[in-house]
Amino acid sequence: MLRPRVIVCLDVKEGRVVKGTRFKGLRDVGDPVELAARYEEEGADEVVFLDVSASREGRGTLLDTVRRTAERLFIPLTVGGGVRTVEDIGPMLRAGADKISVNSAAVRDPSILTEGAEQFGSQCIVASIDAARDSDMYRCYTHGGSQPTELDALEWAAECKDRGAGEILLTSIDRDGVRTGYELELTRAVAERVHVPVIASGGAGASEHLRDAFAQGLASAALVAGILHDGVTTVSALKRDLTGWGVPVRMTSPTSASP
Amino acid sequence: MRVALFDYGAGNLHSLGKAIEAEGVDVQVTDDWAAALVMDALVLPGVGAFGQAARSLPDDRAPIRDALAGGLPAIGICLGMQLLFDGSDESQGDGIGLVPGRVRKLDTPVVPQMGWNDVETLGDPVFAGVDPAVAYYANSYVCVPDHEEDVIAWSEYAGKRYAAAVRRHNTWGLQFHPEKSSHAGRRMLANWVRAARGVVVARDVVAGREVLAAGDGAAGRDGDYPSPGGRPESGVP
Repeated sequence: MLRPRVIVCLDVKEGRVVKGTRFKGLRDVGDPVELAARYEEEGADEVVFLDVSASREGRGTLLDTVRRTAERLFIPLTVGGGVRTVEDIGPMLRAGADKISVNSAAVRDPSILTEGAEQFGSQCIVASIDAARDSDMYRCYTHGGSQPTELDALEWAAECKDRGAGEILLTSIDRDGVRTGYELELTRAVAERVHVPVIASGGAGASEHLRDAFAQGLASAALVAGILHDGVTTVSALKRDLTGWGVPVRMTSPTSASP
Repeated sequence: MRVALFDYGAGNLHSLGKAIEAEGVDVQVTDDWAAALVMDALVLPGVGAFGQAARSLPDDRAPIRDALAGGLPAIGICLGMQLLFDGSDESQGDGIGLVPGRVRKLDTPVVPQMGWNDVETLGDPVFAGVDPAVAYYANSYVCVPDHEEDVIAWSEYAGKRYAAAVRRHNTWGLQFHPEKSSHAGRRMLANWVRAARGVVVARDVVAGREVLAAGDGAAGRDGDYPSPGGRPESGVP
């Protein structure tokens, strides 16, 4: 049985995690390598690095961060924010990313999805979609939610899938940071429209929100950030609750511990 | 022990290399088949597309097939497992042809299969200490072996059962990614290295070589093995 995934997202800027101050006592609290490894130990199913560096130098640091992380992290790593052209994909994968996610770059030139999937396989191309409700539609935004586009989220998700995206990372701008739960209607609409896995994002405030994203939103995975970084809850606490409700998330078993 | 990690030219080899290296072996990344086949063991990683990987094979597949059939320890992961078969519906080009069968597109509502899935293991030493096994998959294609005896583990996705792992001689194929399956996956890789060491020791004994010769550090370490679980000649249970 395929297990619903709990994915932890870290905002990375110039080689440091920008949010994420919960793990006190680490050698380097803001080190993405340490934090990612810590979340793996807690039971995270995947880690996403979202690069929010403003400068070219910052983006150069990202490759090094990815390389150092991949040496220590033994769950999948997705990198978003640092990929602008199809030429950026190869170096990111070779540095140790398992998947890359593209948002603004794909809106500007959708061929990045097609060419990325042809060269590297659909399984490593994630289409990231930021959407907000706009009267009777969900409108796509780029550049971290700041620039509206003419794209309808459902239509755009379908095109991303047709062009080769192997997964959709779907963020509700309306719910982002609000902690009142994922935008279930949007999530379900996209999951029913495109037959690739959908990651629900934006709005996680408690474990029941993840349960609802899986059960009602039909999401394959749920992205969690703020509530973990702020110490509201932990991955293991979320998974304990989900297991209690019968959601078959992966639980790390003592018998599968490291030799 | 020297392990060749074959590089088809696309994707992430980093975590896999590090996970195997952590077991105390010397991992050499190479895109040269001749160089790869003279090392002690071979790893076919799981990134890229079948057609591209098939093009990186030499036109004559026989030397690779013969080396594997002759007992060279090897592990193929995801795409690397698929390459062990005759061919794939994904693209043109023959596989290595070690395991009879073909690679088929997943016939399920949501493709690719992306995420952690249960692995029903059938007692092969590579799964020792990993029970229950849950492993990370990212695949659109699965292997359909002609002979069910080649299968050493099964998984089920959307009601369809498929081979999670196969074994022929000392070659293992895993459809999931052990290097992305946290502790459980690293345990499997450690088990494989242990089994490969057993093969290397047995080979050197048969060849009448002095395994513990002074100055050969790697062989000296190999002298600590094999353990019963890692003996390749025990065959598939």
